[in-house]
Amino acid sequence: MREKMLNIGNKKWFSAVFWILLLLIIWEISAIVVANTKRIPENILPHLYQIIMAAFSGEKVSGELSASQAVLTSAGQTLLRGFLGFILGGVIGFVFALLMKMSNLLGKMLFPYLMLIQLIPVLGLAPIILSITGDINVSRVVIAAILSFYPVATNTLYGFKSVEKEKYDLMYIYAAKKHEIYQKVLIPAAMPYFFIGLKIAAPMAVTASILVDTLQGDGGLGCLLSQSLKHAMSIYTFWLIVFFSAFIGIIISKIIGLIETAVSPWKRRP
Amino acid sequence: MKKRMKRILCMLLTASLAVGAFVGCGESQKETTSTAENEKKEELTSKDIIEKAAKDGKVGNWGLGNEYEVLALLAKYDLPTDFLSQDFTMDGFDDDSITLASAMTYNELGLVKNDYEGGYGYKDTVEYIDMNDEGVAMLEDNIFCSKDFAKENPETVAAFLYASFKGWEYAVENPKEAAQICYEYGSSVSKEHQEYMADEVAKLVSTDTKGEKVSDIGNMDEDAMKQTLDIAKKYVSLDDADANEKFQNLTLDDIRDTSFYEKAQASDGKFNVEKKKVSIQLKWLPDAQFMGYYVALDKGYYKEVGFEDVNIVSGGGDIAETTAVNNNTVDFGVTWETNLASADASGMNLVEIAQIFQRSGLVLVYKPENY
Amino acid sequence: MEDKVVLKKMGRRKKLRERIRENPKWQKASTVILPLIFGIILVGLWQGQVLHRLFHTDTFTLPLLDKIGSIMADNKEKLLENTFSTLQVSLMGLVIGSILGYLMALLASFFPKFGQGGLAVIGAFASIPVVAMAPVFNNWTKDISRDASFRSMISKTIVVMLICAADMGLNAYKGLTNLKPYALDLMAIYASSRKKIFFKLRLPNSIPYVFSALKVSVPASIMTAIVSEYFAEYITGVGRQIRENIVLAQYSTAWAYIATACLIGIFAYAILMILQSIFLKRYH
Repeated sequence: MREKMLNIGNKKWFSAVFWILLLLIIWEISAIVVANTKRIPENILPHLYQIIMAAFSGEKVSGELSASQAVLTSAGQTLLRGFLGFILGGVIGFVFALLMKMSNLLGKMLFPYLMLIQLIPVLGLAPIILSITGDINVSRVVIAAILSFYPVATNTLYGFKSVEKEKYDLMYIYAAKKHEIYQKVLIPAAMPYFFIGLKIAAPMAVTASILVDTLQGDGGLGCLLSQSLKHAMSIYTFWLIVFFSAFIGIIISKIIGLIETAVSPWKRRP
Repeated sequence: MKKRMKRILCMLLTASLAVGAFVGCGESQKETTSTAENEKKEELTSKDIIEKAAKDGKVGNWGLGNEYEVLALLAKYDLPTDFLSQDFTMDGFDDDSITLASAMTYNELGLVKNDYEGGYGYKDTVEYIDMNDEGVAMLEDNIFCSKDFAKENPETVAAFLYASFKGWEYAVENPKEAAQICYEYGSSVSKEHQEYMADEVAKLVSTDTKGEKVSDIGNMDEDAMKQTLDIAKKYVSLDDADANEKFQNLTLDDIRDTSFYEKAQASDGKFNVEKKKVSIQLKWLPDAQFMGYYVALDKGYYKEVGFEDVNIVSGGGDIAETTAVNNNTVDFGVTWETNLASADASGMNLVEIAQIFQRSGLVLVYKPENY
Repeated sequence: MEDKVVLKKMGRRKKLRERIRENPKWQKASTVILPLIFGIILVGLWQGQVLHRLFHTDTFTLPLLDKIGSIMADNKEKLLENTFSTLQVSLMGLVIGSILGYLMALLASFFPKFGQGGLAVIGAFASIPVVAMAPVFNNWTKDISRDASFRSMISKTIVVMLICAADMGLNAYKGLTNLKPYALDLMAIYASSRKKIFFKLRLPNSIPYVFSALKVSVPASIMTAIVSEYFAEYITGVGRQIRENIVLAQYSTAWAYIATACLIGIFAYAILMILQSIFLKRYH
């Protein structure tokens, strides 16, 4: 029996479950406290069962949609835009890092500006991007791409730079051509860093996508979020979105982890 | 194993301590509200209320260009013009962190009073100060477009106004049906609240700042517009010195054009529209605040005057309606006179073509027991 | 020097270029000079309205630099006030969050079984959008103080803190555990105590990871502070000013604040880079 208990304790998922349970307990205790001290507790901290009930209740909150239907339809739009932006940002980020590695001059010239792009508040860029693209949805994708581009580019570049000098020397001895060096040494070496970048970028793309939904109130999780926050509809919609977006964030980083192991065999050590 | 148990116990202990602290905070809050309730109640004028709230620093507004009426009111009573930022919910009013909170008659006030989903259910225990009564009313929802667009498409503009007025007229007479129509067109609010909104919006469209009945929808009342611009000039301060100077020198003629309104009024409903597909961006999320356009769309009024397609674009985002109209992403927009004037001062080229709301919908709501 | 080379032989030119490139002094200087050149080109393009033509935009949406500069100069005090409030939030959040994150990583590295799961949960926190977190913390901090400016600062700081803590926790944990394969064995051969392994091996090993975490969280802390200002109760901060001005169609003023936000970012990043060069030199 004791053995079995220990075994369960050793499982990888056990600790995560433990922490989640602990969090849930703390949440519920606080919810009870809030319920007893506040007039409208669901605005501050509802019980978890209330949120779950709201997820499965068929009550219409917006048009003909129930709360979870509304969340899921909006999420579809937001995630699609976020996904497109993320792919675009990831590809551009990688290409940029490669270019900056290939040309020292370019690398040195542009590196500080990479960070700057990250720092320009999206809101300031939005009207300009809108006037360039002329379409609000394209603008949203572009902004999500800009925000996910930076972590990918910097991390990949860091990966390129992390290659030890010995490896270059070795390739030099082999009289390897430039593209061979890139293909055989640099790119594989940068892969783990590229994926770190992607892992950071993925939740950022989702966040960005939710944020840019609110540029114009025509759908998407961000709009639904602000609508429900303004008490225009059931406040539980808000809580559903909070949980849903957290869930999406976790799932996405898991998926990228899976892709990472799939494309980098050397990671598959037991 | 023992060690682990110890750790878990430690963690639970800290957690319970934290919760204990939480309870403590909650209780102290309770005490303060109960003492407030025990205070004697007397008859108060709106002046007393504003003075007390301003003294406590508990006047609330959303900012973002919605604050000028409140500033004008504070200045009227020689009070410092500071206010707290309200976050588009009435939570701050509910928990007394804001005791004199801004509310639109057709939206927040309904949430405060009513007890449907999202409401706070105060019923008639709350009272409010009306900006129209205080003489600091500013005009809100209008219809505008860019000056270039108006010049190039005069028939389109007049036709759009004609059909929109017809929609508004119907909506004002049948608010319940209008609410239902808005609800079907992807509403952002619950059905009950939508109906409340439609009733209140109908009042704003058909009553002027002095409380008199208005028969002509879209009329641009000279006095009310002048008052709005004057208050705006006094309280809007733009950080851009050039824009600020331009703003101070604006006249009504710079920001409004009555010719399209007159043309629409005189028309028999036949237009030769230049642009058959037009769009209008709302100032806020789709709801009964804009019921006239939804009714016009639903009843086919836009089709009758020759439009193939009218796209109603939701607002309430960070791409303001002024920006969207100015860069030609949409053709028409709904905004407030002050927003339009400051946009023009900073270099946009916009013009108001009709005034839908004839009186201010802003009130400052308070709980009498706090005073 | 150049003259001499030219006189000798044309073929030397290339070598000179190479020599310059390999010159450590030039190496150092170029990291400053090259971005500066690019910056100057950019400024030229911007002020000469080439950017505007490129982006099909006008000087209204993208105001000229002298205009932005003059607005910044006109509103120095207001600008500084807002900058201070944003800096305060992002700095406090960054420092507290990073320390918390590092402590969590330490705990997790001592008890890897429980720690890893905990870190995964914390990583999940980081993926909750700021737009969702900010209003929640606004409500949760209502009871902290009767002073709206104080409690709204706290709620903004908590959001920044969470983001930074997650970032630091994940990175530092990697630094504390991702040791060179032979390093632990070597320490074992030396019969080092756990304490010694920690101070001589794990801690130094984590420093570069700390900096790579900071490289993400310094800009992120500023961005998060700016976004959470949108929702804050008390109207202050660079982000809030940007939004107010954009909604009021005051693009020039909004750009003055955008420029301020960028300057804050550059400043913070420069400090980080200096710190990094000091710390990493010591350890390597």
